[in-house]
Amino acid sequence: MNDTAWQRLFGYRHAFDNHVTVFVIVTVVALLVLAPLPIFVTTRAAKITPEKRKELWDRYRSWIWLALCIVIPILAGAFWTILAVGTLSLLCYREYARITGLFRERTISFIVVIGILLIAFAALDNWYRLFVALFPLTVALIAIGGLIPDQPKGYIQRVGLGVLGFALFGSALGNLGYMANDWNYRPILLLIIFAVELNDIFAYLCGRSFGHRKFVPNTSPNKTVGGALGAIILTTPLVGVIAHFIWINTALDNPICLLGLGIIVSVVGQFGDLMLSSIKRDLGLKDTAKLIPGHGGLLDRFDSLILVAPAVFHYVGYFVGFGAGQPQRIFSGL
Amino acid sequence: MEPWQLEPARDTGLTPAERFRSVRRESGLLESMAQQACFSVLRLYFSIAHRLTISGRDKLPAHGPFVLAANHCSHLDALVLGAALKPRHRERAFPIAAGDVFFQTTAVSMFSAIMLNALAMWRKSCGPHTLAELRRKLQEERGIFIIFPEGGRTRTGSMMPFKHGLGMLVAETNVPVVPCGLIGTFEALPPNRNVPRPVRINLLIGEPLNFAAAPNDRDGWSQIARSVESSIRILIGQ
Repeated sequence: MNDTAWQRLFGYRHAFDNHVTVFVIVTVVALLVLAPLPIFVTTRAAKITPEKRKELWDRYRSWIWLALCIVIPILAGAFWTILAVGTLSLLCYREYARITGLFRERTISFIVVIGILLIAFAALDNWYRLFVALFPLTVALIAIGGLIPDQPKGYIQRVGLGVLGFALFGSALGNLGYMANDWNYRPILLLIIFAVELNDIFAYLCGRSFGHRKFVPNTSPNKTVGGALGAIILTTPLVGVIAHFIWINTALDNPICLLGLGIIVSVVGQFGDLMLSSIKRDLGLKDTAKLIPGHGGLLDRFDSLILVAPAVFHYVGYFVGFGAGQPQRIFSGL
Repeated sequence: MEPWQLEPARDTGLTPAERFRSVRRESGLLESMAQQACFSVLRLYFSIAHRLTISGRDKLPAHGPFVLAANHCSHLDALVLGAALKPRHRERAFPIAAGDVFFQTTAVSMFSAIMLNALAMWRKSCGPHTLAELRRKLQEERGIFIIFPEGGRTRTGSMMPFKHGLGMLVAETNVPVVPCGLIGTFEALPPNRNVPRPVRINLLIGEPLNFAAAPNDRDGWSQIARSVESSIRILIGQ
């Protein structure tokens, strides 16, 4: 392994090389430090039930843990980032398999898990051809694995569920890990995650403030048109401005392309949210799990990120690409 | 077009700590692999350190649901029975373990649930709800339960009278009960010891008993308890 690859994978000393990284981290810390103030004011002023108050504080405490789990691997190095994304993929798949009942199909679950591990390896190795090949190959393997019980009844269901699970949590979310092959991956990933989570909060706040018309009442009764539009209006310029400082003087660095990126993050993020709402409503569940106090399951928290990852990866890839000048096949090419 | 049959895990909505203790728990891929590995290692250990012999293994039903009922002398008992099962049976095998020993703290219950696939039975407060849930699990999930109907380990080495819990699970059902006699586990690891002695262990498996005709009431339960108890007494010669 040459020094460039080593420094990218493990070089925590480069954590704050980029000003955008510093800016995003400072903003997150400031938000987390200031957040108790509005919570305190609302819980005091409004007539809030003790359960609701506890949920708000649970939610806040969980945010601190989540922020640490996201920020530390990203700052520590690309190796830890890809490891964290791989773990997130596996845990999200686990939740999905448990709520859909796919976890009872051991062969298919095993193939999906192997697929997710290989996606993480391809990202770590910076081996794009393997990364691309893994989707059709894993799908083929799932279709073959579904044959093993020799029971045609339910074949389409178990294979269909397996393919959807791998597509969403292996392949789509895997794009987030692959972005860590860029030398400048820290601000890029922080921007995407920060913007997607903020987009959710904007949608909620705008919906509360001036949302009247229901957006998709059958899928998610609390979503309003006002909330959705408000999130787009607030998130788009935010992403555009920060992205300008990340991709300064590149093909992406013009107002139209930057706004396009912002719209993608906001719109696709909200669709990801609706996708999980649909899955939950189809199953008759409120939350996917009870893992994070105040939030529900990991999927409830990271649903918006799942579809944004491939959209941003290929949008940025069209203009600039990821990992220019970085050594490829770091481990497999030795 | 027929709708898909989507059936979420029965433990959906429980926190991890609640899930380990719940009888609704369903193992996932990793837990199954951990259990297979754990019981394979135990099988090897019992063969080497305790020269474990199993007789009558052919009497085990081909697939679940069934109940393995045995005399209880030691913490090794459930491990011997689990290790004696065929690998394809182990995935559905649930040792029914005392909640106050194996599920007291989250760390211990995590170990009992992940490595042994044990289900908690709270001796002092086991309500009809838990028993109904266990009865359902046995039949619907084609489970294999490992049960010690004495309700605790013998302190003297001689078998104690059986309690009604076993009867409550199998009365009026076609679930066979396989009587199992354990010899040597008391000498290997009696309740007052912490480290096992390398003593020979024998597992004797008897003919499966069916209690479809036994009524699901107090009389039926004691009839089942007596019947299984006498089968095991014959097996171990007590």
